Order: sequence, then C-alpha cells, then structure tokens
Amino acid sequence: MSGKKEKQMLEIKGLHASVEGTEILKGLDLEVGAGEVHAIMGPNGSGKSTLANVLAGREEYQVDSGTVKYNGLDLLELAADERACEGIFMAFQYPVSIPGISNAYFLRTALNALRRYRDESEIDAVDFLELVRSRMELVGMDQKLLQRAVNDGFSGGEKKRNEILQMAVLDPKLSILDETDSGLDIDALRVVAAGVNALRTEDRSFIIVTHYQRLLDHIVPDRVHVLSGGRIVRSGGKDLALELEKEGYSWLEADDAKAGSGA
Amino acid sequence: MATDAIDAWTDPVSTHSQGFQDEVLALKQRRADAVDKFAQVGFPGRKHEEWRYTPLKSIASGPCSALLERSGSLLDRELLPVDAERVARIVIDNGEYRDDLSDLSAVSDHVQVQSLASMRREHPEQLSEHLARSFPADDHPFHCLSDALLDDGVFIGVAPMSDVDGEVAAIHIIHYLDGSKGPGSAHTTGLLHIAKGARIRLIEEIHCQGEVLGNIRWGVDLAEGSDVHRIRAFRSGCASIFHGSRVIQQQDSRFEDVFTCAGADLVRNEIHVLHEGSGCHAELLGAYVACGSEHIDNHTTLDHLVEDCTSREVYRGVLSGRSRGVFSGMIHVHEGAQRTDAVQSNDTILLSGAAEADSRPRLEIYADDVKCTHGATVGELDEDALFYLRSRGISLGQARRMLVRAFISEILVATGSEVLSDFIIEELQQAIDVAEEASS
Ligand SMILES: Nc1ncnc2c1ncn2[C@@H]1O[C@H](COP(=O)(O)OP(=O)(O)OP(=O)(O)O)[C@@H](O)[C@H]1O
Ligand SMILES: [Mg+2]
Repeated sequence: MSGKKEKQMLEIKGLHASVEGTEILKGLDLEVGAGEVHAIMGPNGSGKSTLANVLAGREEYQVDSGTVKYNGLDLLELAADERACEGIFMAFQYPVSIPGISNAYFLRTALNALRRYRDESEIDAVDFLELVRSRMELVGMDQKLLQRAVNDGFSGGEKKRNEILQMAVLDPKLSILDETDSGLDIDALRVVAAGVNALRTEDRSFIIVTHYQRLLDHIVPDRVHVLSGGRIVRSGGKDLALELEKEGYSWLEADDAKAGSGA
Repeated sequence: MATDAIDAWTDPVSTHSQGFQDEVLALKQRRADAVDKFAQVGFPGRKHEEWRYTPLKSIASGPCSALLERSGSLLDRELLPVDAERVARIVIDNGEYRDDLSDLSAVSDHVQVQSLASMRREHPEQLSEHLARSFPADDHPFHCLSDALLDDGVFIGVAPMSDVDGEVAAIHIIHYLDGSKGPGSAHTTGLLHIAKGARIRLIEEIHCQGEVLGNIRWGVDLAEGSDVHRIRAFRSGCASIFHGSRVIQQQDSRFEDVFTCAGADLVRNEIHVLHEGSGCHAELLGAYVACGSEHIDNHTTLDHLVEDCTSREVYRGVLSGRSRGVFSGMIHVHEGAQRTDAVQSNDTILLSGAAEADSRPRLEIYADDVKCTHGATVGELDEDALFYLRSRGISLGQARRMLVRAFISEILVATGSEVLSDFIIEELQQAIDVAEEASS
C-alpha cells in the first residue's frame, strides 16, 4: 500500500455539489491511488450516484465548491466527453437505452473518439470486431447483443454486462462502477468481477459503489468508505464491508445523534 | 387573399385549359367543371379547416401560375441508388413524360407503362373512367388544378410476374422541376393499377431548381392480394410541392409508403387510403427535416370501410431554425369496420427554440370492436442519451448527430434497402448539419 500512495490518481477535497438547488454532497474528501480499488457503500440517497455523476461530468449536477484533481488535471474544468477521453469511465446505475443506434456502432464511435483524442488512427472494422469479440467473451456476453440497439430491450443483467463490456473495450484508467452488481445473478456477478479483476493493473483504478459485500468477495478492495449525508463518514480496509453487512447503518444515526448533542 | 388568388391563377388556368380542344366529352366536362370550381374556391385561406396550418398565400399570389416547359437541364443531378435487378426508369421533366429519357426494358414483360398524354389521345374513355374512380370531384384546390390542366403524367399497370421466385421489380420515377428560365408550375397525374396478386416497388424522387410549384397526384388501385411498396424522396432544395395520393385497396392487399423530405420551401404531403376489402394493411411512414423558414405539412386520411383491416402510421420530423412541421392524421373507422387495428404516431425533435410543430390526430370511430391508438411527442434531444454518449468520449456535436440519425433511421429501415436508406439518411443529416452550422 505504501508504495502505491506515491502516485495519486484521484484527489477530491471539500466537494460540495447540488442538484436543482438541493445540496447533496456536503464536503466530501476522497483519495484514490493508482492501481487501487476503493469501495463506496452507504444508505440509499446518501449521494453515491451523485458523486459518480459529478466525476463523470453530468451538467445537471452543479459543483458549488471544492476541488477534484485527476492525474494532475483539474477534472472539473473538463467536459464529460473530455473526461472520458482522459480515461474516466462510469458504469451507470441505470444505463440508458438508445433505439436506432447499434451497440457495435456506438462502441466503435466511442473507441474512435478516444483514439482521435490520443492522436491515434481510427480502428478498422476487422480489428474492432476482433477486439469486441474477445472482450465479449471476457464479460460473457451474447454476440447477438452487438447488433441490437444500445440497451434497447436488454434485460437488467444484460444492461449491466454491457456497461462492463464498454469498460473492457474503452480501457479506462479510472472506472466508477455504480451498483453494477445490482440485478445480476450469481454467475453474472462472478463474470463481472472476473472482468474487473482482469483489468486490474498498476495504473488502473476502480471506485466500486455497492450495497453488498458479495461483490467484494470477488473484487477485493484496498479501501472501503461509507458515504452518508453527502460526506465520507468512515473509511477502512476490506473488513469494514463485512462489518457493515452485519451491522447495517444504524450506527450512523447514533453517530449523528452524538454529533447533534455535542453541538 | 382569396380574390388575389383568383386574379393570379384563374385566367391562366382557364386559358391553358382551353388549349385542349378535341377531347371526348367526359374529359372535356371534367376539365370545364374543374375550371369553374377553381374559379369559385381558389386557394383556401387559413380559415379553411383543412388548411389551417398551411398558408397558401405565397402560391396564391401567383408567381408560378405559368406552366413550366420542357427543360432537361437537371439531368446531371445525383439520383437515388436503386438496388434492384429489374428497374424501369421513368423521367418526368417539368410535367412532361420523357420517352427519350425513360427506360422500360428491364420490366417490360409484366409492367405496362404509358404516358398520360398518349393515353389521353389513344384511350380517353378509359382514362376518364380511371380518373373518375381515383379522383372524385371535390373542391380541393390542387385536384382542381390537376383536372383543369390535365395534360401529362404516367399510367402504370402491373401484372403478376411470370417467374414467381424472382425479385420484385422496381419502377424508378424521377420528377425534375426546373424554374431556372422563370418560375412556373407543373401538374402531373400518375395512375398506378396493380392487378390481383401483383407486386411492385416504386421509388419516386423529386428534384427542384428555382421558384417552382410541383403539383403531383397519384391514383393507386390495388386489386386483391396485391402489394405496393413505395418510397418517395423529396430531394434537398425542393421548392413548393403538393403531393397527393388516393389509394384504394381491395381485399388482402398491402400498401406501404415511406416518405422522406430533405428540405423544401413548402410541402403538402397528402395520402388518402381507402380500405374497400377486408384484410388490408396500410403502412404510412415518414421522415422529414426542415430548416430555416421551411414548412412541411403531412396530411393523412385512413378510411377503414370494412372489417379486419390494419394501418400503421409513423411520421418523424426534425425541425431547426424557424421551420414548421404539421402532422394531421385522420383515422375514420366506418360502421361495420369491426376489428380495425389502427396505430398512428408523430414524433418531432425541435433543434431550435423557434421551430414549431403541430400535431393533430383525428379519430372518428363508428364501430365498437376496434383498436385505435395515436400519440404525438415534441421535444428536444434526450438529455440522458446525450450524456450517455458523451460519457463514452463522444463529443456533444457528434452525439447530437448520432441521436438525430437514430431517430430518422428507424423509419428508413422500412425502405428494405441499406444503400437506399444510408443514402437518404445522409442527405437528411446533411441538411440538418448545414442548418445547425449556420445557426451556431
Ligand atoms: N436529478 C436529480 N433531481 C433531484 N434530486 C436528485 C437528483 N439526483 C439525485 N437526487 C437526490 O439526491 C439524493 C442523493 O441521490 P443519489 O442518487 O446520489 O443517492 P445514492 O446514494 O446513489 O442512492 P442509491 O443507493 O439509492 O442508489 C437523493 O435524495 C436524490 O433524490
Ligand atoms: Mg445510486
């Protein structure tokens, strides 16, 4: 761990963000080193997806104050597509379906956008197909889904696998998985975990938002954080997830009460 | 306005109509009636229910009241790629059927094609019967003009193909409307008669130059079990076009129409389908873009006259600038037309705050066991979909293009031809790109 600390990938300091005038993130701090896997847990509505969306650059989410540094860049200065080109990827909690655009065309357009950004030539059709096929195998996805419209009529699990497929093809540096495990059957869960583990290297980092310990049995995190009321209220090693699984979040209220009475 | 219209058009119309002297009585009478009717009604103003959203002022004031003459100068325009083994080509140049430019060799054995001008001379009685059936007298301004000025066009009769396994033959019809020597109009009547069990693909395209009014009407007659698949492309840069079809379907016949418009000053696109026999299906699809101050009005009428017929209408528009799109769709389920299943939808994407869409579904249902649904949506591009694309590295501009393209391409799948579909989508897309660039 101490070795990895030298290279930070993501540094969030005092982040305040709001949606439609309501403050959701209230002074969030988080550091993710290169090559690390961080899990974020926390009650419903605590701001996990908000954090993921703010990092991905969704414009409805307004950053009111704080800083986000990503590989030395001021992340908040970049548009959503530039962030993707710089290596940020969010697997959506609720992937959008886009009728009329085939999955293959979508993936290829995205990949070529990234390549152009890096001044690389566009990938040709044959190489692309080979790449996608191999990645589909990795995430155990039916080849037929390639010609279907993006997420259109996909089952819940197919949508989630499709997110992981995109991650595997686009090869991001920082992946943010927002409840990718929800709605997956046990086999699919293993496949997704295997996909993430296969991509796990020194220079790729992951933020995994989840409600359940079981995903973390397969993807062992370096750090586990609890997000509550728009802030990280507790951090620890992989054992924290086990603890949470047993105890739930009732202790949060107790903490709040304590904090309240102390003030 | 009505008086202007009459002043500007009545005299030329009446003068032109007198150019046809030795006609059989039936045709002569039809012409005279139409001249009188037009003199009475002229071009309707906005108070007319059927024309409420579409002003005809610019037409009524008369710049195009002269008739266009043979031109031949648009022949270098790039045509739609028609991928069929057997294609007949018909060229109609400023309203004139051009024998010299048409080519019927590929389908001659089962398709009969004759110019309307020669039919008028050689089989006037037959022509008059066809006209009476396809276009009963009414006070529709463009129908009146077509009858008053009836001159040329095309008759197409299709018999079943002899080799049953063969690919369906295609007829490619190209209208050139060239006003470069001065503004004017062309009035074209087409008759399409499909015999029992016969099938045909029809690909029709319109090219314009200068200030012109194209007035095109089709009488389509489908006998039992026949099948027409028609694609219409109003190519980019069209001027003012009225295009009207009256489609009569007999038992178990199928009519599919894919309409596309890549930009035109003023379009009125009318289709009237009558299901006279049971088991018929009509599929009316449209994809159109409008930019600047363009105006496009789609006007469909489905008369479900008998039981067990189905219809499906999907019209999709993309409007930018200050353009306006109108969809008015009437579904009329007559008494006794039980188990009618009619679906209608009209969706519009507005790319600018100044563009405007009016959608007016009209249902009249006089049978109790029917399924009729209609829906209309008007809105901007889906923000969630835009973000999804952008979050994968695709720029805002490209993401917008992709979504517009997706929206249109769902309609064009129905052309059944990838090359044709790609070609038309590209043209529609380009029209939008140019408009978007100009506005940004
Ligand atoms: N677009 C939005 N408009 C209004 N409120 C929003 C919007 N997005 C999020 N919120 C609100 O912000 C709060 C945090 O939501 P968020 O989706 O970040 O929670 P979460 O931690 O991901 O919850 P879950 O575990 O249920 O996915 C919630 O109260 C939610 O209702
Ligand atoms: Mg969430």
